[in-house]
Amino acid sequence: MASTTKSVRPTEQLGRLQSKNKKRGIGGRIKRYANFYVMFIPVLVILFLFYYLPMYGIKYAFTEFTPFGEATWIGLDNFTKLFEAQRFWNAFNNTLFLSIINLVLSMVFSVGIALLMNEIGRLFIKKVVQTVIYLPHFLSWVVVAGIFTIILSQETGVVNLILEKMGFDRIDFLTNEGWWRSIFFFINRWKETGWGTIIFIAALSGISPDLYEAAEIDGAGRLKQTWYITIPSLMNTILVVFILNLAKIMNIFESVFVLYNASVYNVADVIQTYTYRVGMQGTFNYGYSTAVGLFKSVVALVLVGFSNIMSSKVTGKGIV
Amino acid sequence: MKKKFSFSKGYRGRTIFSIFNFIFLAIIMIAMLIPIWKVCVDSVSREVSSTDISLWPQVFTLEAYKIIFTKKALFNPFWVSIYTTAIGTFLGLLISTIGAYILIQRDMPGVKIFSWLFMFTMIFNGGLVPTFLVIVGLGLYDTVWAVIFTLGMNVYNLVLMRSFFEQLPVSLFEAAEIDGCSPFGIFIKIVLPLSKPALASIGLFFAVAYWSEYFHYVLYVTDPDKLNFQVKLRELVLTDEPIPEAKDAGLMSETMKNAAIIVNILPFAIIYPFCQKYFVTGVTLGAVKE
Repeated sequence: MASTTKSVRPTEQLGRLQSKNKKRGIGGRIKRYANFYVMFIPVLVILFLFYYLPMYGIKYAFTEFTPFGEATWIGLDNFTKLFEAQRFWNAFNNTLFLSIINLVLSMVFSVGIALLMNEIGRLFIKKVVQTVIYLPHFLSWVVVAGIFTIILSQETGVVNLILEKMGFDRIDFLTNEGWWRSIFFFINRWKETGWGTIIFIAALSGISPDLYEAAEIDGAGRLKQTWYITIPSLMNTILVVFILNLAKIMNIFESVFVLYNASVYNVADVIQTYTYRVGMQGTFNYGYSTAVGLFKSVVALVLVGFSNIMSSKVTGKGIV
Repeated sequence: MKKKFSFSKGYRGRTIFSIFNFIFLAIIMIAMLIPIWKVCVDSVSREVSSTDISLWPQVFTLEAYKIIFTKKALFNPFWVSIYTTAIGTFLGLLISTIGAYILIQRDMPGVKIFSWLFMFTMIFNGGLVPTFLVIVGLGLYDTVWAVIFTLGMNVYNLVLMRSFFEQLPVSLFEAAEIDGCSPFGIFIKIVLPLSKPALASIGLFFAVAYWSEYFHYVLYVTDPDKLNFQVKLRELVLTDEPIPEAKDAGLMSETMKNAAIIVNILPFAIIYPFCQKYFVTGVTLGAVKE
């Protein structure tokens, strides 16, 4: 602030300071930053306690361990048990299916709506639309599940009321294996579509108006402009968002946790909910649950690595 | 780009498109708002009709809200939500700003390692049970601190903050240093005041995260006096039995459930219109990094 108004002198000093820093050895630099290290200690302690200390607990994946007894080493037994468990594969397949379909739907809807919003001429209307469609993103999953549990309720829900008036049978949507996934995708779109458009709207506003002008001079209509300019310009953003989300497909949890129930485990149970149920409920099988969690972490790590390579290919930059 | 709204020859197609586009987006907006509106209406209706579709309360009452704010069993979770959100947001911002400030010190020995230590937690973690056992081991089980600490260290927000700090001109720090300002002084007197938009944006992200938290309470807290409003709401929504507080006041459980949802949304709904731009800043800030 002040330095910009002063004359040349601070800059000269700056140059001297920088060269002085360069000349300092590692010891001198540590001394210079001593205060920073002190400031950083609490952050580092929290990071260590809550992130690195649990990593030591991964050893429980190789033990028989419940809260009612000591951990005993059983080698890879948990993993053989895991790969034979039908419930585990069910959860694994559901994780992939629910995440990937959800990701594809989110891309299609968010890009589509971003394109339509971009065509709104009046700034005020655009702002109103944005304000409204971002809103559901900020409702907690518990609230969203609450709203839809009430609306879809078999006895009192408004959707079933409408169905009945139209002469259909009442359906208990959230406990029905045939309906659960569709409802799940719908609720996810309801909550996150608007928020997903932000990044595409930002990318759209970054497209140079010169391109459109040139296209117009060449006689391209609006549709052609969208097809030959807008979509190709967005392609990079679409790919990056897709890749970033691909890295996270194993993380699906809370949305399922608040919407599923025992009658739809076959179509709804995912790895994280399975990990929770085997470790924190029923038999409290800490060892087995840790093994499932470790398997999930390793798959997630592979996915991140894969995404990183893809990202480097597409953008020239990795994601981590 | 033509903005003229007219049905004359050259503009006709464009205008028709605009109209359909607007109608389509209006339908989307209505689809977003109607579920919330329905809940809102039913929360102030004495009778939630099970035979008619009403988008307006038949018999208006604020009884359910009065119960939530007067009965301890319902108000206490609300209060827990408020104080954990306040403490958590403060702690989260403290950790993110200090962490981010250290990570932008390019000359500092060890910065690369620190940065790597943060990044690694984004791609790998101990998992549910090991983290749970650490929390128990630290004596944090059944305290709100278990939730406050686990959410406070958010590497994603820290990286966002770092992206913001990186945009500040380095010459400012160096000039301040020449003037004899300590690192902590630079942090307090220069970095923080210049980062108000980022603080607002990331602070709001933290606030929303703490307010919305549900799973970590289920996992770490059993004492009903320390459970937040999300847990209470979940319990209310899922119960098939008549809610005692509602029954005493002659209300339907449905009214009570709807009112609890609205109370849960309310604090955020009040600030949202004023803060929307900060949320967007946060997201686009993250996009720059990508």
